[in-house]
Amino acid sequence: MGLGLSSTVFAQDSLEKALQMPATKSQVSATFKSPKLINIQTNETIFKNELDFRVDHRFGDIAGQSGGIKNFFGLDQSTDVRIGFEYGISDDLSVGIARAKGAGPATQLYEGNLKYRLLRQTGNEKMPLSVTLFGSSTISAVKASTDPTSAIAYQDFQDRIVYVVQAVIARKFSPDFSMLIMPSYVHRNFTVFGDQNDLFALSIGGRIKITKRMAFVADYTLPFRDDTKKAYLENLWGNKYYNTLGAGLEFETGGHIFHLNFTNATAIQESQFITDTNTSWTKGQYRWGFSIARRFSFDKKKDKAQ
Amino acid sequence: MKKLFITLMLVSAFAAVQAQMLISKDVTISFFSKAPMEDIDATSKTAASGINVKTGEVIFKINNNSFQFKKKLMQEHFNENYMESDTYPVSEFKGKIIDPVDFSKPGTYNVAVKGNLQIHGVTKTYQTQAKITVTADAVTANTTFRVKLEDHKIKIPTIVIAKIAEVVDVKINAVYPTKN
Repeated sequence: MGLGLSSTVFAQDSLEKALQMPATKSQVSATFKSPKLINIQTNETIFKNELDFRVDHRFGDIAGQSGGIKNFFGLDQSTDVRIGFEYGISDDLSVGIARAKGAGPATQLYEGNLKYRLLRQTGNEKMPLSVTLFGSSTISAVKASTDPTSAIAYQDFQDRIVYVVQAVIARKFSPDFSMLIMPSYVHRNFTVFGDQNDLFALSIGGRIKITKRMAFVADYTLPFRDDTKKAYLENLWGNKYYNTLGAGLEFETGGHIFHLNFTNATAIQESQFITDTNTSWTKGQYRWGFSIARRFSFDKKKDKAQ
Repeated sequence: MKKLFITLMLVSAFAAVQAQMLISKDVTISFFSKAPMEDIDATSKTAASGINVKTGEVIFKINNNSFQFKKKLMQEHFNENYMESDTYPVSEFKGKIIDPVDFSKPGTYNVAVKGNLQIHGVTKTYQTQAKITVTADAVTANTTFRVKLEDHKIKIPTIVIAKIAEVVDVKINAVYPTKN
């Protein structure tokens, strides 16, 4: 009697208890929505056999001396334009090429880059962070200057190359909030007279979801230029060096990512905005920027096989 | 003595429960929708299910992020934007087989199943036809039904509406081994 009773009581909810759910896939995905934030990289790479086509644009100063109504708040100018392709060799490794106008004297930029996911944050907190490495080399095809103090007084081909190495350390704190911190190392084979070839920088960035498809994004980069060199350069050229701050909105439509942003950086490439931002928010030297990214998938063969 | 009796009772009760329950870890759930731009097709093989042979109660549970898509970006969007798998990690069905099935007798039974399906945190009552095949060493259950995304408050923004169908066909195949 006792036995019968207990077994029926058991049966009610034990059906659910008897089910052992497999452990959920532990990797955290979509820490950021795009491989790039505003000025800086994120930890995201694209998936295998995907092609990411991206156009970045930066307009002229909105306010300040060269801004205002006479250049329609910067829309009459473009300080930099970049067209880039990225291809996913695997889910963890992507390779990219890009052409950028380039801001400052070094223009006609050709960039090649590699991005590799080293670590992925897991859901069970065993791995609390994601880490992605980024490396690029950029070549300027601009005509070399004959002024030996110029930033583009290139002697040979080697002088035209700038290397960037970055480590993006990111964490998705909640479905709506992600942050990253990124040390950068920039090596310029040739610089303006009196500047340093090697430069370290530290960036922070974040993303806060406003709605399911719109997010607020911001990033800040602090370069560590030698103080005496900085003072010398600022005195010599009359240009101050500033840290970069970008803030904007990110829209995702499934396949497309749009960014609408404001930044004081004139350049888009890491090889330039980290080392050479001479424009300041406080002087009205911030600008509209936008980017459009579209992803294409090339997994058609797999589609048919399955 | 009393302790022994309780232990014995528990053990036998547990055994009785085990005997009247069919558990399957071999559950394949897939869904498909045809849309003008591209078909959406995903499969998960890691769902779990149970049938209470005595009462006809059935349960299905699945981790939403276990669905595998051919296009990984689609998978990311599925979890991030539509299913919101961080907030609603599991979808489940709890219901009952309405028509009688003799699980001890091999054969094919076409039955009606009715119950509550919870997707995206929204529960809705469904009734569908299922085919249950009893063989000597396993019970197999098959069913298909349609889910309207709107019923579960899964919103499609107007800008991608052409890309995603508003109704998806769900297909379930579960194998419950009856012999160890």
